[in-house]
Amino acid sequence: MSSAFVYRPTASPQEAANWSRRQIIATDLRTIVGRAYPRVTGLFREKSWVFFEVLLPFLATSAFVFVYRAVQAPPEYIGFVVLGGAMTAFWLNVIWMMAQQLWWEKSQGNLELYFAAPMNIMSVLFGMAFGGFVMSSTRAVAVLVVASALYGVSFAVDQWFLLIGVFFLTLAALYGLGMVLASLFLMWGREAWHLTQFLVEPVYFVSGLNFPIARLGILGSVAIALLPLAVGLDAMRQLAFADAAYPLGTPSPEIEALILVAMTVVFLLLARWTLRVLERLARKEGRLSIRWQ
Amino acid sequence: MSGIDAPIEPGLGSPTWGGFDHSRTRGRGAADIRRSFATAARLGWLMEANWTDPILFFIYSVAKPLASALILVVMLDVISGGAKPEFRAFVVIGSALWAFVMAGIAGLAWSVLEDRERYRMLKYVYVSPSDFLVVLLGRGVARVAVGAMGALITLAVGVVALGVPFDPGTVNWPLLVVVMAIGLTSIVAVGVFMAAVCIQSRQEAWSYPEAAAGALFLISGAVFPLAVLPAPLQVIGLLTPFTWWIEGVRQALFAGSLSSVGGDGSFFALVAGHATPTTLELLAALLATGTVATLASIVAFRASDRRAKDRGLLDQTTGS
Amino acid sequence: MSGTSESQPLAIDVRGIRRVYNVKPTPVVALQGVDLAVEPGEFFGLLGPNGAGKTTLIKILTTLLLPSAGTAHIFGFDVERQTKQIRRIMNMVAGGEQSGYGILTVREQLWMFSQFYGLPSKDGWRRVDELVEAVGLGEQKEQRVSTLSTGQRQKMNFARGLLNDPWIFFLDEPTLGLDVSAARSVRELVLAWKAAVPGRTVLLTTHYMAEADELCDRIAIVDHGRILALGTPDELKKRVQRESVFRLELDRLEGGTAALKRLPGVLSAVAAAAQDESRDRQTVEVNLTLEDDAVLGTVVGALAGIGSHILALRKSEPSLEDVFVELVGRGFDEEPTDGDTPEPPAPDLTPDPRDTAHEPGEREEEEALI
Repeated sequence: MSSAFVYRPTASPQEAANWSRRQIIATDLRTIVGRAYPRVTGLFREKSWVFFEVLLPFLATSAFVFVYRAVQAPPEYIGFVVLGGAMTAFWLNVIWMMAQQLWWEKSQGNLELYFAAPMNIMSVLFGMAFGGFVMSSTRAVAVLVVASALYGVSFAVDQWFLLIGVFFLTLAALYGLGMVLASLFLMWGREAWHLTQFLVEPVYFVSGLNFPIARLGILGSVAIALLPLAVGLDAMRQLAFADAAYPLGTPSPEIEALILVAMTVVFLLLARWTLRVLERLARKEGRLSIRWQ
Repeated sequence: MSGIDAPIEPGLGSPTWGGFDHSRTRGRGAADIRRSFATAARLGWLMEANWTDPILFFIYSVAKPLASALILVVMLDVISGGAKPEFRAFVVIGSALWAFVMAGIAGLAWSVLEDRERYRMLKYVYVSPSDFLVVLLGRGVARVAVGAMGALITLAVGVVALGVPFDPGTVNWPLLVVVMAIGLTSIVAVGVFMAAVCIQSRQEAWSYPEAAAGALFLISGAVFPLAVLPAPLQVIGLLTPFTWWIEGVRQALFAGSLSSVGGDGSFFALVAGHATPTTLELLAALLATGTVATLASIVAFRASDRRAKDRGLLDQTTGS
Repeated sequence: MSGTSESQPLAIDVRGIRRVYNVKPTPVVALQGVDLAVEPGEFFGLLGPNGAGKTTLIKILTTLLLPSAGTAHIFGFDVERQTKQIRRIMNMVAGGEQSGYGILTVREQLWMFSQFYGLPSKDGWRRVDELVEAVGLGEQKEQRVSTLSTGQRQKMNFARGLLNDPWIFFLDEPTLGLDVSAARSVRELVLAWKAAVPGRTVLLTTHYMAEADELCDRIAIVDHGRILALGTPDELKKRVQRESVFRLELDRLEGGTAALKRLPGVLSAVAAAAQDESRDRQTVEVNLTLEDDAVLGTVVGALAGIGSHILALRKSEPSLEDVFVELVGRGFDEEPTDGDTPEPPAPDLTPDPRDTAHEPGEREEEEALI
């Protein structure tokens, strides 16, 4: 039994507490994998999500397709809706499975254990993001492929590399925003739940999920400056339907890609700062363990 | 009269009480149901409304349905340039009413998940003398009330700012009352069904009610006439109580507006021989589909309840 | 770095820690200026009723809560500013923990935490397998966490607490809600771990006196945010009853207790007739108060000399609750009876007079040891 209790004995607690940079990075990377594990495992152990997270959202996207069909919209608009429907998967993942996740963890009693452990809490959030990405991607691909086939959407892509790059940049910026929201929601408690609700349809609207964002005028410009979903979706539409008569008024995909890079950097740095500040505030106010706040 | 000859008072207050009072196990029937429902509704409202200040609560309650309506309005304006006001009115009314549907479907389901995962109270509620379904219904009513508020305000914004034509003098109040009564029952019934699903599912089930509402959105004629859909989907839509409810509210509030069920080339027109349903047809279809939905939901809930007891799901916490 | 010397910082060094929760209607002062020094390798207990401030103190020491005032160091690392270092060398297990992901198996749950603690993946799996066997969860390791009983879940939590081989282990009421057998298992695990890795420190909070008595090298009795008394279990009990009290059952006692009272070291001897039901005969029960345990030998010899046979011998000791009652004037489960909370005794800085000889039969005045 004694060998089970001993692991890499160190001469003193000071030696054990003194980690190299390599050890710190390795722990954070392991944490990402570790935290993604329950998400990914859960997909295979309870499969009802296939119906509720893939089939039903496909039907919801189809509703907007038929709205355009009802008014005899040009075919590229069907493509806009399908692409928007695919990207909703990632936005919902960010707000449901990341933004309020730390608040969920507090309810479950896991938050204390996370903060009492030596890894960076951002790694935990990265792990959640990666784990959720698997489900979201499945949903996005299902919507994209099935809806495109069913509704005759044809893509015209000239710059594949840029399109894929913009997609991943959009995700990076989205997940960065998710981390910022997670730290804010850590403090807001019950408001987090309602604010998550608040962020669904209004963000769809200002992000131009089902229509070209240029139609929103100044509001659209503000959204492009602030919301990863808005700018990413607009760039992907311009790239995926290169031959469409796309309304002018938004930046080119290249500029929007740069905007996404800036957003990613800003959100990740902001997340790092807010997590640190808000952790200290949470420790000061005792909010890491009060469950029903 | 005192001592041994004194009449024995029932219940705990009796000075001669010294054993089990059987009358406590009988309950009070309808009075207990009313009280359980009222208590649960009050609790639901407190939980729904006390998390923030009233202004923010108001914004939160209205933003969602209003944003949904605006998405559709802009979609239409993008194509038609505002040239088809009747379409705009159609989508605003439909998306406003859909706020009701969303609130009803999600309300009960989220009550189950909240009580099980967050507050860990589900098992205590379950073993209380109150009927579990009655308590859930009470809890769900609060969210329906919030949904109603959002729907009304969206309709008001639609009338005032988005060009929805409304003449209070032409409202068919009796039809509206009957349609709302049956329709809300159907909405709550589907909410019961979703609650039954959520009892069996894990924490990620939070998104299931919205996903279900999104799917029903496709076939309910909320934002486009059913005639646009392929025939098989139109049939499914006609078998859904929400379709008839939305149609009924449209006909009651906005007489003469575009029909979601009928129209030239619609399956309904093919079967009924005329373009739009009469009031009688509408009410009959709503009652029939609503009854089926309600019965099916109750059966599903009881089956889920049994399975949950069998598998010990009522006090589990999941989460990933 | 604080501590007894530059090379040996205290495991826990708490100075003037105060913690106020700003709750409505009135703020709650959970800790009112606590000082504590725990040596490396000690098994230290915080004993007190619910609401005493034990969990608040442990949350401060585990870097989950900031103090409102005062300082605290874990092996010289500041709990406010050096949280990362502390989190690398400590772990914690709380009673009644319902944490975890129900969909994972025990092995998977523990492996996930091993990754958070920085163990390489293969090491993590290996260590998890060793620890689940060590804590007695070998048969449940492939079971989902949501299907574990309370005792099994706590064993799993305990295994989680040992994954990173902590230098200091915080146990916050670890046997809360466990049945006798499960609680005993947990206590045995703690002792086995402590024996296997000498030099590790444990801080245990509990309101179970027997648990503190059994496990702890030293105990601090806490109430209303203050430490009322501090010492080894024996030292604390001697505050209430310094003499040794024995209850003897004899077959007979010729000449009564006069002979016993004359023996040196015997403070009092009171006899009463009793009935031995099993043997259907009269026996004599004698309550003896001795200066200390060593006098017992003299008594036994004297009894043999007058032809008495000892049928049963039992030592009567005060419990830690007796100590608490002595200090505060109420039991663990009792609330203060009037509106004012009784003030704990004022700190006494004079040397402990118990070390000096005293007149037999005289009771010492009670003193606080802060």
